[in-house]
Amino acid sequence: MRRREAIQFLGAAIAMQFVPRNAQAVIELGERLHRQIGDVPFRTLNAAQQKLVTQIAEMIIPETDTPGATSVKVPEFIDLILTEWATEEEKAAFLAGLADIDVQSVAMGSPRFVELAEAKRGEFLTGLDAKRPAKAGAAHAFERIKALTVYGYFTSEPVQVNILKTQMFFNGYDGNVPFTPRV
Amino acid sequence: MMADTYDAIVVGSGISGGWAAKELTEHGLKTIVLEAGRPIDPAVDYVEHVMPYQKRYRGMGDRSRLDRYQPVQSQCGACDEYAGKFFVNDLDNPYSTPEGKPFSWIRGRQVGGKSIMWGRCVFRWSDLDYEANLKEGVAIDWPIRYKDMAPWWSHVEKFVGVQGRREGLAQLPDGEFLPPWPLNAAEAKAREVLLTKFNGERLVTNMRLAVITENHLGRQKCHLCGNCYRGCITLSYFSSVNSTLPAARKTGNLTLRPFSVVHSVIYDPKTKKASGVRVVDGNTKEMFEVKGRLIFINAAALESTRIMLNSTSPEFPTGLGNSSGELGHNLMDHIMGGGATGELPWAKDRMEVGRRPDAIYVPRFRNVKSKHPDFQRGYGFEGRAERPGWERGSSMPGFGARFKKSLIGDLGPWEMTFDGFGEMLPRHENHIAIDPHLVDAWGIPALRINCAYSDNELKMQEDMVVTATEMLEAMGATNIRTFKENNAPGLVIHETGTARMGRDPKTSVLNSHNQVWDAPNVFMTDGACMASNANQNPSITYMALTARAVNYAVDQMKRREL
Repeated sequence: MRRREAIQFLGAAIAMQFVPRNAQAVIELGERLHRQIGDVPFRTLNAAQQKLVTQIAEMIIPETDTPGATSVKVPEFIDLILTEWATEEEKAAFLAGLADIDVQSVAMGSPRFVELAEAKRGEFLTGLDAKRPAKAGAAHAFERIKALTVYGYFTSEPVQVNILKTQMFFNGYDGNVPFTPRV
Repeated sequence: MMADTYDAIVVGSGISGGWAAKELTEHGLKTIVLEAGRPIDPAVDYVEHVMPYQKRYRGMGDRSRLDRYQPVQSQCGACDEYAGKFFVNDLDNPYSTPEGKPFSWIRGRQVGGKSIMWGRCVFRWSDLDYEANLKEGVAIDWPIRYKDMAPWWSHVEKFVGVQGRREGLAQLPDGEFLPPWPLNAAEAKAREVLLTKFNGERLVTNMRLAVITENHLGRQKCHLCGNCYRGCITLSYFSSVNSTLPAARKTGNLTLRPFSVVHSVIYDPKTKKASGVRVVDGNTKEMFEVKGRLIFINAAALESTRIMLNSTSPEFPTGLGNSSGELGHNLMDHIMGGGATGELPWAKDRMEVGRRPDAIYVPRFRNVKSKHPDFQRGYGFEGRAERPGWERGSSMPGFGARFKKSLIGDLGPWEMTFDGFGEMLPRHENHIAIDPHLVDAWGIPALRINCAYSDNELKMQEDMVVTATEMLEAMGATNIRTFKENNAPGLVIHETGTARMGRDPKTSVLNSHNQVWDAPNVFMTDGACMASNANQNPSITYMALTARAVNYAVDQMKRREL
């Protein structure tokens, strides 16, 4: 962990020699470096759990013509919330739910969810989705992953800036603007 | 330390303290404003444009920190990861409540007080409100009526900048309005349908808001970012920081002293008036005195009364202003958390551009023309119609590419919410007192708060659920979800009373001009003064009462009666 941070920091120091002169670009570079250095490694989810959470998050919001959950670092966000934000009980219920997902996978044909065939995985999650809200077990873990994936995805910088194009300044209010869904 | 002497002292720089400062300084009085909290610099402290990805928990709040330092404050939704800094540290600011009777005391200690994060809804009262105590034999009669207040509401509204729609309602008089934002397509249709279905009795009108829709007295019109509670760099909503304190500063008569925690008022038995206040420096914790000819106590209702209860002397052993025994009593809040949400069947091809901080209001319709069998007084609904967009994702069934595309490219149905805000009756047993065993971080005796809702409020809350559902059903709404929250009093943050105005010094703390019966140069013009609480949001009434009281006090000084 320290090593990874040190390498990133070194990378930052080298990059600084090629700082653009334009002020806005300097700010953007600074923010990018800051974020890289501030990246939080996984601290609660172990390698197997990371794989499971990542796969489910990516199934909820997959990469299409726009980024998916993984590329905007939803799994890292979920780990941060589990590590620093959730109570011990909430964390335990979440992790027990993850374990339960694998337990239930056995009946679908594999002791690990991530090793199920794609169609089976979809079928499995559809079943869990129908069981929400759930206080415990696989459906509970899925419910939490889904909520955090939606929230983490849509509040991420790439999505806010490039997809939602969130604005802070409007010249006035209009509550009667024509709208056609793009789905 | 030698005491400084001023023409006037104002305790507190929130919504009413700011007005006291503006009016006093504009009348030429050298005025010091003593603010318990820190200074605020809009350029540094306002955070309305901070994006979720710029916060560690994306706006979900630093939960362990909030749980530890702000367990009470964070019951208020605005005390979040962005604006939590505008709310007090609960460990530094303790209070006690009896077992099983919680009270949520939400406070802001900084220059501007709670006017930085307030809800900005501003309504006049009518004589339906001012006469209710007398007609129903509840508590005591107000010493004033609509006609006493109307010119002062006009006076403050013109400066504040209030958007609103003129409706000509007897129970909710119109004010000096700037043009309101239009209702959105779904709300406009709701207004039309409900007018027909309820014979004009249940009216969806534009929220009356202290947010300006056109440039106003040097402040820029609202840019609709929707995050008012975190500050406003264009100064588009009214607050002390954005409006009254700059006006007071312009006179050259203002001294503003942050980190000045007022302990008590000093009474001089020779003059039978107050001579000043005792202050604890917020940083050094040293005590010093400030002297003044006039004293305005505007620390926010319960803090103001706490100061008076702590102002003991041989002449007033139970606190200055307590000759009637009513100081600390008749505490009120409003009751909220009753209502319903549903999906509207119309305007599917319409959307909003711009985020209004508030949207619609349904003025009181209970006990206006006919009497309700279950409860006295009434309530109004705050609400809005909006399309949830991606935020519906966690509850929406499904996942995968189509799910994602729908969250990005569709907005979901218009959802309309009606959330009731009802009047709480004044009752002697709802009271505050000094807790003999508890002090705050500055060594000042703290409060014990003893307050509960009664049957009247709880029945009213039940009725909110019923009428909100009726309105949604009348509109053909689907997926109707009712709610009835079990909030402790205080959480509406409209705590009022404890130093009521009245006609008789034997039963009230203040006279009809907010003047303390026991000490004529002391005025209390924040929520403490209220003899009842109506159902409307109260802040503009405190502003009007403050301006009125200052005008009276200055006039009395000129006549040498003060």
